[in-house]
Amino acid sequence: MKLLQTIVVGYDGSSDSETAVRWALHLANETNANVTVVHATGMLEHLHNRFSRDEAPPALIALARECGFDEARLRWLVDDGDACSVLLRTAAPPIDADVLVVGARGHGKRVGLLLGSTSLEVTEHATTPVVVVPSSYVDR
Amino acid sequence: MVLVINGAYDDSGHEDPGHPERPDRVRAAMAGVADLHLGSDLIAVPPYTASRAELARVHDGGYLDELGAFCYAGGGDIDQDTYATFYSWSIATNAAGAGLAVIAELQRRNDGVGFIAARPPGHHALADRAMGFCLLNNIAVATAALLSQGERVLIVDWDVHHGNGTQQIFWDEPDVLYVSTHQWPLFPGTGSAGEVGGRHAIDRTVNIPLPAGATGDVIRQAIADIAEPVIDAFSPTWVLVSAGFDAHRLDPMADFQLTSGDFAEMARSVATFAPRPGRLAMFLEGGYDLDALRSSVHATLSSILGRTHEAEKLSSGGPGADHVARVQRERLAALEMLHSTEEEETTP
Repeated sequence: MKLLQTIVVGYDGSSDSETAVRWALHLANETNANVTVVHATGMLEHLHNRFSRDEAPPALIALARECGFDEARLRWLVDDGDACSVLLRTAAPPIDADVLVVGARGHGKRVGLLLGSTSLEVTEHATTPVVVVPSSYVDR
Repeated sequence: MVLVINGAYDDSGHEDPGHPERPDRVRAAMAGVADLHLGSDLIAVPPYTASRAELARVHDGGYLDELGAFCYAGGGDIDQDTYATFYSWSIATNAAGAGLAVIAELQRRNDGVGFIAARPPGHHALADRAMGFCLLNNIAVATAALLSQGERVLIVDWDVHHGNGTQQIFWDEPDVLYVSTHQWPLFPGTGSAGEVGGRHAIDRTVNIPLPAGATGDVIRQAIADIAEPVIDAFSPTWVLVSAGFDAHRLDPMADFQLTSGDFAEMARSVATFAPRPGRLAMFLEGGYDLDALRSSVHATLSSILGRTHEAEKLSSGGPGADHVARVQRERLAALEMLHSTEEEETTP
């Protein structure tokens, strides 16, 4: 098995996605991997763009600094689509992620088994190993 | 020529305060129909609820079960864009049924044009997933019904967003030709020119992605240069239109610069693809500026019905003319690659 080189992690600004990013940054620190943080832009975001396509959001930069992660190895990406499709596209070549990291819930308020659960849908369709970071995860 | 529309049903229960996909949209579209003053030439068919068997032609059974259960449990946010309420299952199955009822009436009459003003819209709904405001894929349900009768269906999707759900559902279906003009990049991120259909349906998908700011002249040129030769070769027996009006210059959801006059002109052009009267139906998809929606529906239907109308001037001069040639090159390259792969596989 090759060493981890690229980690892709989903981010929607929710506390769950911040937890996932935090976990990914710690893993990257341990393995010297690069991290691509991706945000999926849905239809409604055209009405009120929450994130710049060119610059990582300040909260993400702050998180990287807090985790002692080298910002030069952090890549920010915004892509159009639903979260599941965007995560799968990003993890595919040319980025070719070694691991895909997602938060347990994100902004969704989903209550069912399948419908609308990004983490479950990603797990079902991904060809890359997926890590789902639980909401209750705390750095140790 | 008569206009056949779906009968009204109560869609007020599918609403999320502040969400742009709202009941007022159908009211605006129907106001555009009323502005035609058709009198006895307007035929409203009774509401019809799509059966599970009719839905299951395009949607996975597990997804239908899950969606119904989710709604009857009270609903909620399915993703960052898409919601459902307690009433959404009932309303969505009526929206899917509306197209079936209108088509049945067109078949009975062998005349007229259909317009389905139903919501929630459908063209983003995948076989197994709701997204982009869509729960059930209304135009796909109607198309599948026609396929079961041996028809060959052209779907023209002029909504500003790519109809990823419709494309996915008929990706490998040789008796469906899917043609889409859409803004790119934009949600849902699919619809590149190189997506030309599955192995059994090569060249049955025609995607024409165009940049923000594109005007009607570019879209007309793209349809004439790229889509028309493929449509002529396909020779459809039915034409269905995913008629989204969010490509209008006033719509807040995207950045095309079309006018109601452009929609009228596109409709006139698309109507020529239908082999005879009674074989054209238009399904409301997007369109979120209510005034633009009303005037665009009015202009579109007036044009198809051959009635005089006042519409905004045709738009022109926007970016994208160079994209048309690029789209064609990318399509041809993708087709060449698929054909050469096929040849390699069949060579002993």
